[in-house]
Amino acid sequence: MTSSTALRALQELVGRMATQVESAHREIGETRAILKDAVERLMPAFTAHRSIESATSTLNMQTADAARATRAARASGPAFSALQFQDISDQLLAHAQVRLGLLLVEVDAIAAVLAPDSTEPVSVDELTQIVASANSNLAAVDVSLLNPVGSAHLGTGDMELF
Amino acid sequence: MKTILTVDDSPSIRQMLAYVLSSNGYRVIEASDGEEGLLQAKANQADLILTDQNMPRMDGIAFIKAVRGLPAYKRIPILMLTTESSPAVKEQGRDAGATGWMVKPFDPEKLLEVLKKVFAQTSA
Repeated sequence: MTSSTALRALQELVGRMATQVESAHREIGETRAILKDAVERLMPAFTAHRSIESATSTLNMQTADAARATRAARASGPAFSALQFQDISDQLLAHAQVRLGLLLVEVDAIAAVLAPDSTEPVSVDELTQIVASANSNLAAVDVSLLNPVGSAHLGTGDMELF
Repeated sequence: MKTILTVDDSPSIRQMLAYVLSSNGYRVIEASDGEEGLLQAKANQADLILTDQNMPRMDGIAFIKAVRGLPAYKRIPILMLTTESSPAVKEQGRDAGATGWMVKPFDPEKLLEVLKKVFAQTSA
């Protein structure tokens, strides 16, 4: 393989990588929007239940009604779980989206250096510089983007009083 | 009636906390990030603050440091309620002046137990 053929293959590879990263970034954004929509649809039911509970408490209900209210209160448990699930999932997705966004910047920078319409062939020095820059930027991403979500499941988290 | 300031950028979590706390006799004030939390803390004297860590504009630790700088909040309990469980960040929270740390997801019943315990310690 000649150096110009290898360079063209690299250009195509970087171009495909940029497309994939961009698609993943967009798809995560779409997933977050769906999750947000799901919660917005859940919230009116949740707040309606809150109003009913408040009203029944005010009216000093009969025993049968009070039992129904207790059952309703217990039924709100899954709503608590669903809302926390959405919150945690959204944080994880937002985190992945930021990471992909930063990766896309690096891939685009490499693609620009390897641009096929460039009149001058890319030099070894230029390649070395872009690799060093990308490595440095990605190392910074590793340091600054620590995963904000420690939980791997929906079990109750730890509590500690200092 | 005790007043609790909840600071969280997630509207659903704020609503859930408001539901749990107000149905158990607490007055609730809400803020969507540290900056708004600071404004609310100045405008309304809270008896306890529940704050998230990862929020836009001002995170939980920066918020605690700022609130602890207000004379009225030197001894008010501040609990972190967050998905963040890194020991290093927890240590930063403790140094900033947090009273306790709770990792989401939380159980509403356990949260209420912790609040009772903290209020009992404060009034002792």
